[in-house]
Order: sequence, then C-alpha cells, then structure tokens
Amino acid sequence: MLATGRGFGKALLAPIVLFYGVFLIAPVSFFLIMSVFRYDALLLYRPDLTGENFARLLFDPFYRGIIILTLKIAALTTFFSLLLGYPLAYQLSRTRSAWRGVLLFLVVAPLMTGVIVRTYGWIVLMGSEGLINSLLVWLGIIAQPLKMLSTETAVVIALVHILMPYMVFPVFSALASQDPNLERAASTLGASRLRTFTEVTLPLSRSGVVMGSVLVFTLSAGAVVTPTLLGGKNVSMLGQQIYDLVLHTLNWPLASAVAFILVALQFSIIFLYLQGSRRGARAT
Amino acid sequence: MAEDVLTLTGIVKHYGGVLGVGPIDFSVGKGEFLSLLGPSGCGKTTTLHIIAGLLTPSAGSVTLAGRDITALDPPRRDMGVVFQNYALFPHKTIFDNVAFGLRMRRMPRAEIQTRVRRMLETVGLPGVEGRLPEQLSGGQRQRVALARALVIEPTVLLLDEPLSNLDAVLRKRMRQELRDLQRRLGITTIFVTHDQDEAFEMSDRVVLLNLGRIEQMGSPEALYDMPASRFVAEFIGEANLIEGRVVEANGVSVWLDLPGGLVISATPSRPGFKSGDAAFALIRPERIELSATRPESGGVIEGRIAKRVFSGELMNFEIEAAEGIRLLSTKPSLPRFRDLALGQTVWVIPEDCRALPKEG
Repeated sequence: MLATGRGFGKALLAPIVLFYGVFLIAPVSFFLIMSVFRYDALLLYRPDLTGENFARLLFDPFYRGIIILTLKIAALTTFFSLLLGYPLAYQLSRTRSAWRGVLLFLVVAPLMTGVIVRTYGWIVLMGSEGLINSLLVWLGIIAQPLKMLSTETAVVIALVHILMPYMVFPVFSALASQDPNLERAASTLGASRLRTFTEVTLPLSRSGVVMGSVLVFTLSAGAVVTPTLLGGKNVSMLGQQIYDLVLHTLNWPLASAVAFILVALQFSIIFLYLQGSRRGARAT
Repeated sequence: MAEDVLTLTGIVKHYGGVLGVGPIDFSVGKGEFLSLLGPSGCGKTTTLHIIAGLLTPSAGSVTLAGRDITALDPPRRDMGVVFQNYALFPHKTIFDNVAFGLRMRRMPRAEIQTRVRRMLETVGLPGVEGRLPEQLSGGQRQRVALARALVIEPTVLLLDEPLSNLDAVLRKRMRQELRDLQRRLGITTIFVTHDQDEAFEMSDRVVLLNLGRIEQMGSPEALYDMPASRFVAEFIGEANLIEGRVVEANGVSVWLDLPGGLVISATPSRPGFKSGDAAFALIRPERIELSATRPESGGVIEGRIAKRVFSGELMNFEIEAAEGIRLLSTKPSLPRFRDLALGQTVWVIPEDCRALPKEG
C-alpha cells in the first residue's frame, strides 16, 4: 500500500519532469554545446570545437564592460529593493489593520500589468518632456530638462519598481511566520526596539532576505525590456546582447556563450549568497 | 502577607470599544506566589501582558514597589517573563539566550559568564551553553526560559502557562521544582494557568478570573471551602449543586428547602439572603456521609447508587435521588464503602453545606 502510494506520488511528477526536460534542459544543453562552436556567416555555425567565443567575451573590453555593468545594475537593484522593500514587508507583517489583505494585494498588483506597460509609464514620467521635467521647469527649479532617460539610474529605478514584489513577498512571509513572543521576550529582557530588531527580528528574517535578493538579482541581471526602453544606447546588459546576437547579428555561438556567462554568473552569485547566509545563521 | 510589591488598580482593557478585561484590582506581596486562574478567554494573559508592559491598559494603574509604572516600557520594568512557548531565540545558543538580558544591561563579559553558568546550574541544566534551543527537550527549554528570566534578577517573575506544553509526568515534577526554586530565591511570582490543580498546588493565593473580571481571590482553601459564586464552586473541584429556596435566614446560617421536602442548614456565601430567595446548596463530594441503613437523624436524602468507580485509594459514587437530583460522593476506599453495590439504596447525609445565590 505504502510502496504503491510512493510510486503514485512519483508518477505525478512525470509531467513536470517531462516539461522541464523538453523546454529547459534540452535548450540549455543546446546552447551549452553551441557556445563552443564556431560562427559561420553562411551556415550560422560550424560544429568545430573552439574557445574563441568565450575568449572574446572575457577579453574584449566591450563585452567585459557589459558583464560588469550587468552585475552592477543587478547589485544596485537588489540593494535598493531590499532597502525599500524590507520596511514595507515589516509593516505589512505587523499590522493588525483590517486592510492587511488589501495592502498585500496592492503589493502584487503591479505584477498584473506587463513589464512593457510599466516601463512606458516611466518613460512618460522621466522623458525630457515628461511629467517630472515639466514640473521642475514650471516650478523654476531647473532651467533645462534633466537627462533622466537613457541612464543607468533610470534602469535601476524602473527595475526596483518592477521587481519589488519579488523582494517584499519572501521577506513578508519570513517576518509574518515569526513568533510574536520572541520580540516580546527581547523587550522584557531589556532590549530597546532597535536592539530587538537587530538581535531578533532581522536575523530571523534572513531566509526571506536571501530568497528575495536571489530572485531580484537573477531577474534584474537577465532583464531585457527595461534596459532597452529606458537605458537606450547608454545601457547595455547581457540579456539585450543575447537578444541582439540571436535575432539581428545571427551569431548564435556567441549568443550562446553570452547566455552561458549570464547563467553562470547568476548561479555563482546565488551559490555564494546561500553559502554566506548559511554560515551567518546557524539556525532557521 | 509582607508588604505589597506590585499593585493593580482599576485596570481595564478595551479592544476596539469592546471590554476585554476589567476592572481588575489586586496586589502581590513580597515573595508571594500568586496564580491568575481561569478558563481560556478570561483575560489572564491580557492581565499578565499589562503587568509586563506588553499591553497598555485603557484605564487604571500598575504600581511596582510604590512607583507608578503604567506608562513604562517593558525594557525598563525589570520583570522576568516566561512565555507559554518559551520564546527562546532559535538562532542563539543557550548561553546567548540566557545572557541576553545581561548583555542588554551592558554587564562586563566575565560577570555575564559567571552569572549565566550559575543560573543554568540553579535550574539544573549545567553544560548546555553551546547548544541551540532546537537541540533541547521541552523540559530543558522550559528551564532555559526560566533561567533567562531569572538571571536578570527581576523584581517580579511572570509565568504564562509555562508548564502547559510539557507531558503530564514532567508537568507534575516541574510544579514542585518551580515552587521550590521560587521559595529558595524568594522571588515574587505571578503565575498564569487554566489548570486548577496547578494553581492550588503551587500558590499562596489564587485570583480566579472569569469573563475579564475577578470572580474571587484568596488562598486555595478559601476558594474551595468558601466559593463566592456558582462559577467558582463549579470551576474549582467537584461540586454538588442543588437548587432550592431560602426558608429562613439569620446572620450566621440560612435554611434551604430542597426538592423532596428536605430542609437543611447552610452557611451563606454572602450576607443578604432573605426568606424566599432562590439559592443553590453546595455540597462538596467528600463532605457527604453515606449510609447503607436509614440513619435516625433527619436531614438525609434517600438515593440509589447509579455509578460506582473504584480508583485505588478512593471510591467515587454517583447517587440518584428523587426529583432528578444526582450527587457525587467521594469516599476513602474502606471496606464499608467498597461493600456498597451498584443499584443499592443509600442515605446521604450532607455534613457541610453552603448556600450560594442563584444569580452570579
């Protein structure tokens, strides 16, 4: 009875295994192999093993710059998402308001409009004829419109906005599942509100912070639409390069190598982050 | 009792306009062990949180050693609190858990070391400093929570159902251990529980709460022998309550007319009983004499043994009398009571009866 039960449970996993096998493992393997093939203008690629794609990515200053910029934007986005998202998640987890459900819904609501719609919203706000500039000029604070679009700052601001729910939710659930008596105990033992936060609340929400940071980092490192629309020619990230190389330049081997680098960076950052947090928190 | 350490005066707590607790007034003497006893939702934990400063009362004041602390934050109240689920910090070692309050007081490191070690010895847990709470058993965690609350040498120790998560055997042992420790340290203690046995076994005095109000307070004996209301009589111990009517009342005793034409004398729970008042006669099960033959004296109830339970040292009977009255009787397990058989006719002689008002 138990044995068949277990077999049945495994059988239920078959569709998802098949799904990932066909739509994830196969294409990833394909580009892993492709990344060591040689580019050919006529045939797209020739199956000779070569390291030239990777050599180009790592030694060509153009591509190295893109890798560094991608990491920088992802790191800044993660940092600001955490800085803004943590207090929000904290308030949501501690409020006794009847509106808590509604407030939580408002956090997710942005996910229901597409990335493109929201990115265009930022263009409307930040353009040289946009709302912010018009207002500042009208108020006489500035004479000339500020250049806000086509900057790294614009991309980071928009990514923080778009990815905020991915930070708030994991942190919220880590905070909401904390035993309220822990903070009470700290307080009766003489800890101020700040000490209670740094000694108890923050360390015990570490799992949520790690999860949120990993999500925001990987999603922002792989962003395509937002840097393209808001970064213009000045901001070029790895995701855009893959897009360009696959669809415009038709250099699939190089695109595969870029994709490989992106995935490798994301994985190693996640790995380091998890290692670090495991060492930091012995429990939880 | 010695001088009062902690006093609650007119404490009231509203929740969104709804009265949660109060008004509550009581004092705890120095070194006293006081229990807040009551069913769930009676306001005992709310009261404890108000004392600890974790909740602000809507009205009333809390005084600690003569100083009004109603508006004082918990960190500055100097009270040790043990929570029902212990609330040990899961990410800190046992040492760091116990040392927490001392570190908040910026005590020198060496001093903290000594005090933590000594306190863990006091609660009978030496050598667990390096472990995490999850590596300890429930009983051990409970001791750590106690050590963490006591190491700061609080003026008052507050215990919120600290034994309710332990298994029955351990719970019984911990009652005595906790009480011994409390006596040894001479620390004023307020203990919240819903378990009457626990409250009775440990306390000098019990405050019985119901629906946010104090039903009665006093020594365990006083609550058992002289309950002020039907609620107290039924909440504490087993109670036979027979509804009747007052036929005569003077200052010292009342006469109750019970169903079946029996008239018995009873001690009134409060003054003011008048002839004609509806009242309950309270007879505790161990204050009933049972006889297999009709006694010569009057004031007896005739009945039939409907239930007979032998529990080693005791015999428990349920006697069915006229008018649907059922009486519980507890007797020592002596031959003359063991010989009473199921279905046998017996005569019940109440030895001590108390009159309770029907209302309240």
